[in-house]
Amino acid sequence: MRFPRTIRHITMLLAAAALLLGVPAAVAAHASTAATGTGWIRLAHLSPNTPAVDVYLYSFGNSNAQLVLHHVTYGTVSPYEAVSAGDYSVAMRSAGASATSSPVLSTSVTIAADRAYTVAGMGPESGLRLVVLDDDLTTPSGKSLVRVIQASLKQQTVKFTCSCGGTLASKAAFGSVTSYAPIPQGTWTMAAIGSSEKASLPVSLVAGTVHTEVVLDGSNGLEILNLEDAAGAGLPPAGGVTTGFGGTAGHGPGSPVPWAALIGAGFLLALTGGLRLRRRGLRRQLHSEV
Amino acid sequence: MSFRRPAAIIFAAGLVVIAAGTAGLLLTRHSTPAMRPVAAGVGALPAPTGPIVAAPQSAAPRPVAAPVSLTIPLIGVTTKLIKLGLTSDGSLQVPATTSVAGWYTGSPRPGAIGSAVIVGHIDSVSAPGVFFRLSELRKGDQVYVRRADGTLVKFLVTTVQQYLKDQFPTRAVYGPTPDAELRLITCGGAFDDATGHYLSNIVVYATEAS
Repeated sequence: MRFPRTIRHITMLLAAAALLLGVPAAVAAHASTAATGTGWIRLAHLSPNTPAVDVYLYSFGNSNAQLVLHHVTYGTVSPYEAVSAGDYSVAMRSAGASATSSPVLSTSVTIAADRAYTVAGMGPESGLRLVVLDDDLTTPSGKSLVRVIQASLKQQTVKFTCSCGGTLASKAAFGSVTSYAPIPQGTWTMAAIGSSEKASLPVSLVAGTVHTEVVLDGSNGLEILNLEDAAGAGLPPAGGVTTGFGGTAGHGPGSPVPWAALIGAGFLLALTGGLRLRRRGLRRQLHSEV
Repeated sequence: MSFRRPAAIIFAAGLVVIAAGTAGLLLTRHSTPAMRPVAAGVGALPAPTGPIVAAPQSAAPRPVAAPVSLTIPLIGVTTKLIKLGLTSDGSLQVPATTSVAGWYTGSPRPGAIGSAVIVGHIDSVSAPGVFFRLSELRKGDQVYVRRADGTLVKFLVTTVQQYLKDQFPTRAVYGPTPDAELRLITCGGAFDDATGHYLSNIVVYATEAS
Protein backbone atom coordinates (compact mmCIF):
# COMPACT_ATOMS: atom_id res chain seq x y z
CA MET A 1 0.00 0.00 0.00
CA ARG A 2 1.75 3.18 -1.21
CA PHE A 3 -0.78 5.68 0.04
CA PRO A 4 0.28 5.92 3.73
CA ARG A 5 3.92 6.39 2.73
CA THR A 6 3.00 9.23 0.35
CA ILE A 7 1.00 10.84 3.09
CA ARG A 8 3.92 10.43 5.45
CA HIS A 9 6.28 12.12 3.02
CA ILE A 10 3.91 15.04 2.48
CA THR A 11 3.45 15.34 6.23
CA MET A 12 7.21 15.45 6.79
CA LEU A 13 7.59 18.05 4.05
CA LEU A 14 4.89 20.14 5.71
CA ALA A 15 6.68 19.94 9.06
CA ALA A 16 9.98 21.01 7.48
CA ALA A 17 8.27 23.89 5.67
CA ALA A 18 6.71 25.02 8.93
CA LEU A 19 10.17 25.32 10.45
CA LEU A 20 11.53 27.24 7.47
CA LEU A 21 8.56 29.59 7.37
CA GLY A 22 9.23 31.04 10.82
CA VAL A 23 7.98 34.62 10.48
CA PRO A 24 10.96 36.91 10.88
CA ALA A 25 10.33 40.09 12.82
CA ALA A 26 12.44 42.55 10.89
CA VAL A 27 12.67 45.73 12.87
CA ALA A 28 14.51 48.58 11.23
CA ALA A 29 16.25 50.42 13.99
CA HIS A 30 17.71 53.83 13.33
CA ALA A 31 20.83 54.64 15.22
CA SER A 32 20.27 57.90 17.04
CA THR A 33 23.79 59.13 17.29
CA ALA A 34 24.57 62.81 17.19
CA ALA A 35 27.58 62.60 14.92
CA THR A 36 28.85 66.09 15.59
CA GLY A 37 32.03 65.50 17.59
CA THR A 38 32.64 69.21 18.16
CA GLY A 39 33.12 71.22 21.32
CA TRP A 40 33.65 74.92 22.00
CA ILE A 41 36.44 77.03 23.39
CA ARG A 42 36.78 80.72 24.12
CA LEU A 43 39.76 82.72 25.30
CA ALA A 44 39.86 85.50 27.87
CA HIS A 45 42.31 88.02 29.29
CA LEU A 46 41.39 88.65 32.93
CA SER A 47 44.69 89.76 34.47
CA PRO A 48 44.36 93.47 35.30
CA ASN A 49 48.01 94.54 35.22
CA THR A 50 49.11 92.32 32.33
CA PRO A 51 49.55 94.21 29.04
CA ALA A 52 47.83 93.10 25.84
CA VAL A 53 48.67 89.62 24.61
CA ASP A 54 48.31 87.51 21.46
CA VAL A 55 46.54 84.25 22.21
CA TYR A 56 47.19 81.14 20.12
CA LEU A 57 45.16 77.94 19.95
CA TYR A 58 46.99 74.86 18.66
CA SER A 59 45.60 71.45 17.91
CA PHE A 60 47.86 69.16 19.95
CA GLY A 61 51.09 68.35 18.09
CA ASN A 62 50.44 70.88 15.32
CA SER A 63 52.80 73.87 15.26
CA ASN A 64 50.46 75.89 13.03
CA ALA A 65 47.94 77.75 15.16
CA GLN A 66 44.29 76.96 14.50
CA LEU A 67 43.18 80.30 15.90
CA VAL A 68 45.06 83.49 16.77
CA LEU A 69 43.57 86.43 18.64
CA HIS A 70 45.73 89.53 18.33
CA HIS A 71 46.16 92.26 20.88
CA VAL A 72 43.77 90.90 23.47
CA THR A 73 43.45 93.38 26.33
CA TYR A 74 42.32 92.97 29.93
CA GLY A 75 38.58 92.38 30.20
CA THR A 76 38.25 90.81 26.74
CA VAL A 77 36.39 87.53 26.37
CA SER A 78 36.18 86.07 22.86
CA PRO A 79 33.07 84.43 21.43
CA TYR A 80 33.10 80.65 21.51
CA GLU A 81 34.89 78.90 18.69
CA ALA A 82 33.55 75.51 17.57
CA VAL A 83 36.42 73.01 17.25
CA SER A 84 36.75 69.27 16.77
CA ALA A 85 36.89 67.36 20.02
CA GLY A 86 40.46 66.54 21.03
CA ASP A 87 43.60 67.83 22.74
CA TYR A 88 44.68 71.42 22.29
CA SER A 89 47.19 73.83 23.73
CA VAL A 90 46.71 77.52 24.38
CA ALA A 91 49.70 79.87 24.37
CA MET A 92 49.98 83.54 25.31
CA ARG A 93 52.64 85.81 23.86
CA SER A 94 53.18 89.53 24.36
CA ALA A 95 51.15 91.43 21.78
CA GLY A 96 53.10 91.62 18.55
CA ALA A 97 55.67 88.97 19.53
CA SER A 98 56.73 86.55 16.78
CA ALA A 99 54.54 83.48 16.46
CA THR A 100 57.68 81.37 16.76
CA SER A 101 58.94 83.03 19.95
CA SER A 102 58.55 81.06 23.11
CA PRO A 103 55.26 81.90 24.80
CA VAL A 104 54.96 83.71 28.10
CA LEU A 105 52.51 81.07 29.20
CA SER A 106 50.88 77.96 27.80
CA THR A 107 48.54 75.24 28.94
CA SER A 108 46.92 72.16 27.50
CA VAL A 109 43.17 71.61 27.33
CA THR A 110 41.16 68.55 26.33
CA ILE A 111 37.96 69.49 24.52
CA ALA A 112 35.20 66.90 24.71
CA ALA A 113 32.36 66.77 22.20
CA ASP A 114 29.37 68.95 23.07
CA ARG A 115 31.24 70.63 25.92
CA ALA A 116 32.41 74.22 26.28
CA TYR A 117 35.53 75.65 27.89
CA THR A 118 36.91 79.05 28.80
CA VAL A 119 40.68 79.43 28.93
CA ALA A 120 41.50 82.62 30.81
CA GLY A 121 44.71 84.35 31.72
CA MET A 122 44.19 85.18 35.41
CA GLY A 123 45.98 86.50 38.45
CA PRO A 124 48.47 89.37 38.70
CA GLU A 125 51.11 89.78 36.00
CA SER A 126 53.76 88.50 38.40
CA GLY A 127 51.76 85.32 38.94
CA LEU A 128 49.93 85.10 35.64
CA ARG A 129 48.41 81.70 34.99
CA LEU A 130 46.14 80.15 32.39
CA VAL A 131 43.01 78.68 33.93
CA VAL A 132 40.81 76.18 32.09
CA LEU A 133 37.16 76.54 33.10
CA ASP A 134 34.57 73.87 32.36
CA ASP A 135 31.50 75.80 31.19
CA ASP A 136 28.11 74.29 31.98
CA LEU A 137 25.71 73.64 29.09
CA THR A 138 22.79 72.27 31.08
CA THR A 139 20.23 74.31 32.94
CA PRO A 140 17.61 73.22 35.46
CA SER A 141 14.16 73.41 33.85
CA GLY A 142 12.81 76.96 33.93
CA LYS A 143 15.99 78.48 35.39
CA SER A 144 19.24 80.17 34.49
CA LEU A 145 22.73 79.35 35.70
CA VAL A 146 25.02 82.16 36.86
CA ARG A 147 28.61 82.11 38.07
CA VAL A 148 31.02 84.86 39.05
CA ILE A 149 34.67 85.42 38.07
CA GLN A 150 36.43 87.84 40.39
CA ALA A 151 39.07 89.58 38.24
CA SER A 152 39.51 92.81 40.18
CA LEU A 153 43.00 93.33 41.58
CA LYS A 154 42.16 96.67 43.25
CA GLN A 155 39.40 95.07 45.31
CA GLN A 156 41.05 91.90 46.55
CA THR A 157 37.84 90.37 47.87
CA VAL A 158 34.39 91.09 46.56
CA LYS A 159 30.89 90.24 47.71
CA PHE A 160 28.56 89.52 44.81
CA THR A 161 24.79 89.67 45.22
CA CYS A 162 21.70 89.25 43.05
CA SER A 163 18.40 91.06 43.71
CA CYS A 164 16.73 87.70 43.11
CA GLY A 165 17.51 87.19 46.78
CA GLY A 166 20.87 85.51 46.89
CA THR A 167 24.52 86.04 47.49
CA LEU A 168 26.47 84.44 44.67
CA ALA A 169 29.78 85.01 46.47
CA SER A 170 30.27 86.31 49.99
CA LYS A 171 34.05 86.75 49.82
CA ALA A 172 35.35 86.09 46.35
CA ALA A 173 39.11 86.41 46.24
CA PHE A 174 40.95 87.92 43.28
CA GLY A 175 41.34 85.28 40.57
CA SER A 176 38.61 83.00 41.88
CA VAL A 177 35.63 81.51 40.08
CA THR A 178 32.39 80.49 41.78
CA SER A 179 30.38 77.43 40.84
CA TYR A 180 27.12 77.95 38.95
CA ALA A 181 24.01 78.94 40.89
CA PRO A 182 20.48 78.33 39.58
CA ILE A 183 18.55 81.63 39.35
CA PRO A 184 14.88 82.12 38.44
CA GLN A 185 14.01 83.90 35.19
CA GLY A 186 13.70 87.68 35.48
CA THR A 187 15.53 90.99 35.34
CA TRP A 188 17.77 91.27 38.38
CA THR A 189 20.31 93.73 39.68
CA MET A 190 23.73 92.17 40.06
CA ALA A 191 25.97 93.98 42.54
CA ALA A 192 29.69 93.68 43.28
CA ILE A 193 30.81 95.18 46.57
CA GLY A 194 34.51 95.55 47.32
CA SER A 195 36.24 97.15 50.29
CA SER A 196 36.21 100.62 48.76
CA GLU A 197 34.32 100.35 45.48
CA LYS A 198 31.10 98.84 44.23
CA ALA A 199 29.24 98.32 40.97
CA SER A 200 25.80 97.17 39.92
CA LEU A 201 24.25 96.05 36.65
CA PRO A 202 20.70 95.08 35.65
CA VAL A 203 20.78 91.65 33.98
CA SER A 204 17.87 89.96 32.19
CA LEU A 205 17.95 86.24 32.76
CA VAL A 206 15.85 84.09 30.43
CA ALA A 207 15.19 80.51 31.49
CA GLY A 208 17.53 78.08 29.77
CA THR A 209 20.51 80.46 29.64
CA VAL A 210 23.95 80.22 31.24
CA HIS A 211 25.69 83.44 32.32
CA THR A 212 29.08 84.45 33.68
CA GLU A 213 29.41 87.75 35.56
CA VAL A 214 32.98 89.06 35.51
CA VAL A 215 34.08 91.61 38.10
CA LEU A 216 36.67 93.93 36.53
CA ASP A 217 38.80 96.92 37.41
CA GLY A 218 37.32 99.52 35.08
CA SER A 219 38.69 102.95 34.25
CA ASN A 220 36.20 104.43 36.72
CA GLY A 221 36.29 101.82 39.41
CA LEU A 222 34.67 98.43 39.71
CA GLU A 223 32.72 97.09 36.70
CA ILE A 224 30.55 94.07 35.99
CA LEU A 225 30.74 92.37 32.58
CA ASN A 226 27.68 90.21 31.89
CA LEU A 227 28.42 87.30 29.53
CA GLU A 228 25.75 85.08 28.04
CA ASP A 229 27.62 81.80 27.76
CA ALA A 230 24.89 79.64 26.24
CA ALA A 231 21.16 79.52 25.65
CA GLY A 232 18.57 76.87 24.96
CA ALA A 233 14.88 76.26 25.45
CA GLY A 234 14.05 77.14 29.07
CA LEU A 235 11.22 74.62 29.00
CA PRO A 236 12.31 71.88 26.59
CA PRO A 237 9.33 70.32 24.81
CA ALA A 238 8.58 66.76 25.89
CA GLY A 239 9.34 63.97 23.44
CA GLY A 240 9.20 64.10 19.66
CA VAL A 241 7.25 66.43 17.40
CA THR A 242 4.00 65.50 15.62
CA THR A 243 4.63 67.02 12.21
CA GLY A 244 3.02 64.80 9.62
CA PHE A 245 -0.24 63.17 8.61
CA GLY A 246 1.12 60.48 6.31
CA GLY A 247 -0.15 61.79 2.98
CA THR A 248 3.20 61.13 1.33
CA ALA A 249 4.20 58.11 3.40
CA GLY A 250 4.61 54.66 2.03
CA HIS A 251 1.91 52.43 3.40
CA GLY A 252 3.40 49.16 4.40
CA PRO A 253 2.14 45.68 3.48
CA GLY A 254 -0.82 44.30 5.40
CA SER A 255 -0.06 42.38 8.54
CA PRO A 256 1.19 38.84 7.79
CA VAL A 257 -0.05 37.54 11.16
CA PRO A 258 -3.62 36.46 10.16
CA TRP A 259 -2.30 34.70 7.06
CA ALA A 260 0.44 33.01 9.04
CA ALA A 261 -2.21 31.83 11.51
CA LEU A 262 -4.31 30.48 8.65
CA ILE A 263 -1.33 28.60 7.23
CA GLY A 264 -0.61 27.22 10.69
CA ALA A 265 -4.20 26.01 11.03
CA GLY A 266 -3.86 24.34 7.60
CA PHE A 267 -0.73 22.54 8.77
CA LEU A 268 -2.54 21.27 11.84
CA LEU A 269 -5.49 20.02 9.77
CA ALA A 270 -3.24 18.35 7.22
CA LEU A 271 -1.06 16.78 9.92
CA THR A 272 -4.12 15.48 11.77
CA GLY A 273 -5.64 14.04 8.59
CA GLY A 274 -2.29 12.71 7.43
CA LEU A 275 -1.53 10.92 10.70
CA ARG A 276 -5.01 9.34 10.78
CA LEU A 277 -4.65 8.14 7.21
CA ARG A 278 -1.25 6.69 7.97
CA ARG A 279 -2.48 4.91 11.11
CA ARG A 280 -5.41 3.38 9.21
CA GLY A 281 -3.12 2.38 6.40
CA LEU A 282 -0.86 0.53 8.84
CA ARG A 283 -3.88 -1.11 10.46
CA ARG A 284 -5.07 -2.34 7.07
CA GLN A 285 -1.60 -3.74 6.31
CA LEU A 286 -1.69 -5.53 9.66
CA HIS A 287 -5.13 -7.00 8.87
CA SER A 288 -4.07 -8.24 5.46
CA GLU A 289 -1.00 -9.94 6.95
CA VAL A 290 -2.98 -11.78 9.64
CA MET B 1 -12.50 2.90 1.62
CA SER B 2 -15.43 4.85 3.14
CA PHE B 3 -14.08 4.78 6.75
CA ARG B 4 -10.95 6.48 5.50
CA ARG B 5 -12.76 9.34 3.80
CA PRO B 6 -13.08 11.73 6.82
CA ALA B 7 -9.30 11.59 7.37
CA ALA B 8 -8.66 12.19 3.68
CA ILE B 9 -11.07 15.12 3.70
CA ILE B 10 -9.35 16.62 6.76
CA PHE B 11 -5.98 16.22 5.03
CA ALA B 12 -7.22 17.77 1.80
CA ALA B 13 -8.93 20.61 3.67
CA GLY B 14 -5.63 21.30 5.45
CA LEU B 15 -3.83 21.56 2.12
CA VAL B 16 -6.52 23.90 0.78
CA VAL B 17 -6.26 26.13 3.88
CA ILE B 18 -2.46 26.24 3.54
CA ALA B 19 -2.79 27.21 -0.11
CA ALA B 20 -5.33 29.91 0.73
CA GLY B 21 -3.16 31.29 3.55
CA THR B 22 -0.09 31.35 1.33
CA ALA B 23 -2.00 33.09 -1.44
CA GLY B 24 -3.34 35.67 1.01
CA LEU B 25 0.11 36.25 2.45
CA LEU B 26 1.67 36.76 -0.98
CA LEU B 27 -1.14 38.98 -2.26
CA THR B 28 -0.90 41.39 0.69
CA ARG B 29 2.90 41.60 0.64
CA HIS B 30 2.99 44.53 -1.77
CA SER B 31 3.15 48.02 -0.26
CA THR B 32 2.22 51.50 -1.43
CA PRO B 33 5.45 53.36 -2.13
CA ALA B 34 6.21 56.63 -0.38
CA MET B 35 6.08 59.82 -2.42
CA ARG B 36 9.72 60.61 -3.15
CA PRO B 37 10.98 64.17 -2.99
CA VAL B 38 12.38 65.57 -6.23
CA ALA B 39 16.15 65.76 -6.42
CA ALA B 40 17.88 68.42 -4.34
CA GLY B 41 18.30 71.63 -6.28
CA VAL B 42 15.18 71.13 -8.39
CA GLY B 43 12.87 74.05 -7.77
CA ALA B 44 15.63 75.91 -5.97
CA LEU B 45 15.00 79.50 -4.94
CA PRO B 46 17.42 82.42 -5.06
CA ALA B 47 18.90 83.36 -1.71
CA PRO B 48 17.00 86.22 -0.11
CA THR B 49 18.56 89.67 -0.24
CA GLY B 50 19.03 92.07 2.63
CA PRO B 51 21.60 93.00 5.21
CA ILE B 52 23.05 89.89 6.83
CA VAL B 53 23.80 90.80 10.40
CA ALA B 54 26.77 88.81 11.57
CA ALA B 55 27.62 88.14 15.15
CA PRO B 56 29.48 91.01 16.82
CA GLN B 57 32.85 90.03 18.24
CA SER B 58 31.79 89.92 21.85
CA ALA B 59 30.31 87.33 24.11
CA ALA B 60 27.96 89.86 25.71
CA PRO B 61 24.26 89.18 25.04
CA ARG B 62 23.08 90.54 21.71
CA PRO B 63 19.43 91.43 21.30
CA VAL B 64 17.94 90.32 17.99
CA ALA B 65 14.45 90.80 16.54
CA ALA B 66 11.91 87.99 16.38
CA PRO B 67 11.95 85.76 13.26
CA VAL B 68 9.25 86.31 10.61
CA SER B 69 10.18 84.15 7.64
CA LEU B 70 12.37 81.23 6.58
CA THR B 71 14.00 80.51 3.23
CA ILE B 72 15.88 77.32 2.31
CA PRO B 73 16.91 77.94 -1.31
CA LEU B 74 18.10 74.43 -2.22
CA ILE B 75 14.80 72.72 -1.45
CA GLY B 76 12.52 75.55 -2.55
CA VAL B 77 11.21 76.40 0.91
CA THR B 78 10.00 79.91 1.59
CA THR B 79 7.50 80.39 4.38
CA LYS B 80 6.40 82.85 6.97
CA LEU B 81 7.08 81.78 10.54
CA ILE B 82 4.25 81.60 13.02
CA LYS B 83 4.80 81.49 16.79
CA LEU B 84 4.51 78.19 18.61
CA GLY B 85 4.36 77.31 22.29
CA LEU B 86 3.84 74.11 24.22
CA THR B 87 0.69 72.00 24.34
CA SER B 88 -1.00 71.08 27.62
CA ASP B 89 0.93 67.80 27.77
CA GLY B 90 4.26 69.63 27.43
CA SER B 91 4.99 68.63 23.85
CA LEU B 92 5.84 71.13 21.14
CA GLN B 93 2.90 72.83 19.45
CA VAL B 94 2.85 72.41 15.66
CA PRO B 95 1.40 74.70 12.96
CA ALA B 96 -2.31 74.18 12.32
CA THR B 97 -1.66 74.19 8.58
CA THR B 98 0.95 72.07 6.87
CA SER B 99 2.11 74.83 4.52
CA VAL B 100 3.80 77.09 7.09
CA ALA B 101 6.57 76.56 9.62
CA GLY B 102 6.72 77.99 13.13
CA TRP B 103 9.32 79.13 15.66
CA TYR B 104 9.13 77.85 19.25
CA THR B 105 8.95 81.04 21.32
CA GLY B 106 10.49 79.23 24.29
CA SER B 107 13.74 78.84 22.35
CA PRO B 108 16.29 81.57 21.55
CA ARG B 109 15.61 83.83 18.56
CA PRO B 110 17.47 82.77 15.41
CA GLY B 111 20.84 84.54 15.38
CA ALA B 112 20.95 85.04 19.14
CA ILE B 113 23.22 82.77 21.18
CA GLY B 114 21.60 79.38 21.59
CA SER B 115 19.59 76.79 19.70
CA ALA B 116 16.55 78.30 17.94
CA VAL B 117 13.83 75.76 17.12
CA ILE B 118 11.69 75.84 13.94
CA VAL B 119 9.20 73.07 13.09
CA GLY B 120 7.08 72.30 10.04
CA HIS B 121 5.00 69.44 8.68
CA ILE B 122 6.36 66.88 6.23
CA ASP B 123 2.88 66.33 4.78
CA SER B 124 -0.88 66.61 5.20
CA VAL B 125 -3.22 63.63 4.82
CA SER B 126 -2.89 63.95 1.06
CA ALA B 127 -0.03 66.22 0.00
CA PRO B 128 3.52 67.31 0.81
CA GLY B 129 3.96 69.88 3.58
CA VAL B 130 6.38 72.78 3.95
CA PHE B 131 9.24 70.55 5.21
CA PHE B 132 8.60 67.64 2.80
CA ARG B 133 12.13 67.91 1.40
CA LEU B 134 13.95 68.72 4.66
CA SER B 135 15.80 65.40 4.70
CA GLU B 136 17.51 66.32 1.41
CA LEU B 137 19.64 68.93 3.18
CA ARG B 138 23.32 68.17 3.62
CA LYS B 139 26.25 69.72 5.47
CA GLY B 140 27.00 73.21 4.18
CA ASP B 141 23.54 73.95 2.72
CA GLN B 142 22.21 77.42 3.41
CA VAL B 143 19.23 78.42 5.53
CA TYR B 144 18.05 82.03 5.91
CA VAL B 145 15.82 83.55 8.56
CA ARG B 146 14.45 87.07 8.15
CA ARG B 147 13.64 88.99 11.32
CA ALA B 148 11.04 91.59 12.19
CA ASP B 149 13.54 94.43 11.76
CA GLY B 150 14.27 93.32 8.18
CA THR B 151 17.67 91.84 8.98
CA LEU B 152 18.64 88.45 7.68
CA VAL B 153 20.61 85.76 9.44
CA LYS B 154 22.33 82.99 7.49
CA PHE B 155 22.89 79.48 8.81
CA LEU B 156 24.88 76.57 7.40
CA VAL B 157 23.71 73.00 7.93
CA THR B 158 26.12 70.95 10.04
CA THR B 159 24.28 67.62 10.17
CA VAL B 160 20.91 65.97 9.47
CA GLN B 161 19.74 63.26 11.84
CA GLN B 162 16.76 60.93 12.09
CA TYR B 163 15.58 59.82 15.53
CA LEU B 164 12.80 57.50 16.67
CA LYS B 165 10.33 59.73 18.51
CA ASP B 166 10.51 57.57 21.63
CA GLN B 167 14.28 58.11 21.64
CA PHE B 168 14.17 61.84 20.89
CA PRO B 169 17.42 63.46 22.11
CA THR B 170 15.92 66.39 24.04
CA ARG B 171 19.28 67.56 25.35
CA ALA B 172 20.98 67.70 21.92
CA VAL B 173 18.05 69.40 20.20
CA TYR B 174 16.79 71.84 22.84
CA GLY B 175 19.70 72.15 25.26
CA PRO B 176 21.84 75.27 25.58
CA THR B 177 24.56 75.92 23.01
CA PRO B 178 27.25 78.59 23.31
CA ASP B 179 26.89 79.78 19.70
CA ALA B 180 23.97 80.80 17.46
CA GLU B 181 22.40 77.61 16.12
CA LEU B 182 19.21 76.50 14.43
CA ARG B 183 17.19 73.29 14.63
CA LEU B 184 14.70 72.47 11.87
CA ILE B 185 12.36 69.65 12.82
CA THR B 186 9.84 67.59 10.87
CA CYS B 187 8.63 63.99 10.74
CA GLY B 188 10.21 61.09 8.93
CA GLY B 189 10.80 57.39 8.89
CA ALA B 190 7.99 54.87 8.80
CA PHE B 191 4.35 55.94 9.09
CA ASP B 192 2.26 54.01 11.58
CA ASP B 193 -1.19 53.56 10.01
CA ALA B 194 -2.54 52.37 13.34
CA THR B 195 -1.73 55.59 15.25
CA GLY B 196 -1.69 57.98 12.29
CA HIS B 197 1.79 59.22 13.21
CA TYR B 198 5.28 58.95 11.83
CA LEU B 199 7.61 56.98 14.08
CA SER B 200 10.61 59.29 13.67
CA ASN B 201 11.66 62.91 13.54
CA ILE B 202 14.15 64.46 11.12
CA VAL B 203 16.31 67.13 12.78
CA VAL B 204 18.51 69.49 10.77
CA TYR B 205 21.29 71.10 12.82
CA ALA B 206 22.70 74.39 11.53
CA THR B 207 25.03 77.05 12.90
CA GLU B 208 25.21 80.73 12.05
CA ALA B 209 27.58 81.49 9.19
CA SER B 210 30.37 83.65 10.53
